[in-house]
Amino acid sequence: MAMLQNTSVHHASDAATVMVDIRHMNKWYGEFQVLKDINLRVGSGEKIVICGPSGSGKSTLIRCINRLEEHQDGDIVVDGIPLTADVKNIDKIRSEVGMCFQQFNLFPHLSVMENCLLAPMSVRKTTRTEAKRLAQHYLEKVRIPDQADKYPSQLSGGQQQRVAIARALCMEPRIMLFDEPTSALDPEMISEVLDTMAELAADGMTMICVTHEMGFARKVADRVVFMDQGCIIEESDPDTFFNHPKNERTQNFLSQILQH
Amino acid sequence: MPFDYLAIWDHRDILIDGTLKTLLISAIAIPAGVCIGIFVCLLRISNRRLLRWPAIAYIEIMRNIPLLILLFMVFYALPFYGVRLSGLTTGFICLSVYGGAYFAEVFRGGVEAVPKGQFDAAKALGLRYSFYMRRVIFPQLYSYVFPPATNIALTLIKESSLLSMITVAELTYAAHDINGRTFTPIETFATIAIIYWGISIVFLNLTSRLQSRIEMGPVSQQIAIR
Repeated sequence: MAMLQNTSVHHASDAATVMVDIRHMNKWYGEFQVLKDINLRVGSGEKIVICGPSGSGKSTLIRCINRLEEHQDGDIVVDGIPLTADVKNIDKIRSEVGMCFQQFNLFPHLSVMENCLLAPMSVRKTTRTEAKRLAQHYLEKVRIPDQADKYPSQLSGGQQQRVAIARALCMEPRIMLFDEPTSALDPEMISEVLDTMAELAADGMTMICVTHEMGFARKVADRVVFMDQGCIIEESDPDTFFNHPKNERTQNFLSQILQH
Repeated sequence: MPFDYLAIWDHRDILIDGTLKTLLISAIAIPAGVCIGIFVCLLRISNRRLLRWPAIAYIEIMRNIPLLILLFMVFYALPFYGVRLSGLTTGFICLSVYGGAYFAEVFRGGVEAVPKGQFDAAKALGLRYSFYMRRVIFPQLYSYVFPPATNIALTLIKESSLLSMITVAELTYAAHDINGRTFTPIETFATIAIIYWGISIVFLNLTSRLQSRIEMGPVSQQIAIR
């Protein structure tokens, strides 16, 4: 307990630079250990790409950061706030961390605008006028300003994912998580989403992206993290990662994924 | 044997009273059952055992004992514990509580049919449980839940005939009454069968209109446009 307090104090002091700090984190599904001794530090404004074969625990890892999954062991500190079972901390962290999903997960019964208004008005207690202004701003940013009154299913997949990004941005998060944001998209729509993400990165957003888009990783990432069987195997800048991977499993993975 | 429909016509006031009472009972028990159903459903899907288990017990008990026995227990057995309820009150309570268990299960099925990603997105946005259940999850239930819930409501209307067994002068009781006076079982019971059928038809009509009005709303509008 004393140690836990120590770490939280320590992180509060350098919160300005470290946005996400994961230390010795372990997670099990029943008997099966999905994440093994994960250590990851993400600084403010850093862009991290996490890749690895399916089932390696990438999605589970980023879902632990906003407590969509519960970790059983180790510490996670997000923007200076220790992630524990404390509901107050969880709420605080979730309002600072935006997330986009593979399946977009827009609310189908609400218009694009209403999707964007819901969280700012309910969580941040923003007024409707202000929230609308915010939504309009971010919808323009993701280049769908004129679809605000449509419903999600009237939009293409790429448009839906960009709305999902705008919806998350309306909470003005300090960190954005992306869980395979382009995996459910038709090929011709992938680039529009990646472009939006690259612009977001250029604006200085702290981003953690689980993706198989190696082109995006090369161009945007500050660091690439490779995971396999629940462990972080390798972590390096994109140049080193793609050109001189150290670990054999990383080399295998890259040779498979870069063939085509 | 000639049909003596005049005998029924002469006692039409009893039939009208009975019909009104059946309608009244249904009009109270169905909405009350839906409210109980929503409440119990929320307990049933809770992560906390202390909330979930009583809900499971309630649902299992209600689904596995006959409504008639429930009525008898409340009407004839509770007075021994000092609880004396009128037949009508017993009827309201039992029918609502009985229907509530079925509604709860239908609603739970609906909540489980909503894709898990919807919950993830709502949580990730920082929305509170009570808020996202109300504004995100429940609005998506209508189309899953409407047809089975209509069935339960219809069953409740018809099961209300059991209240005749605990002295409630609803439609079936009225039929017994008329039959006792006139000894025209064929005519009497044929007549109330038609009245029950009529109530059901009107009810189904109303609900299907309500359903299509709801479905004109956002969710299916988009489907219609596509």
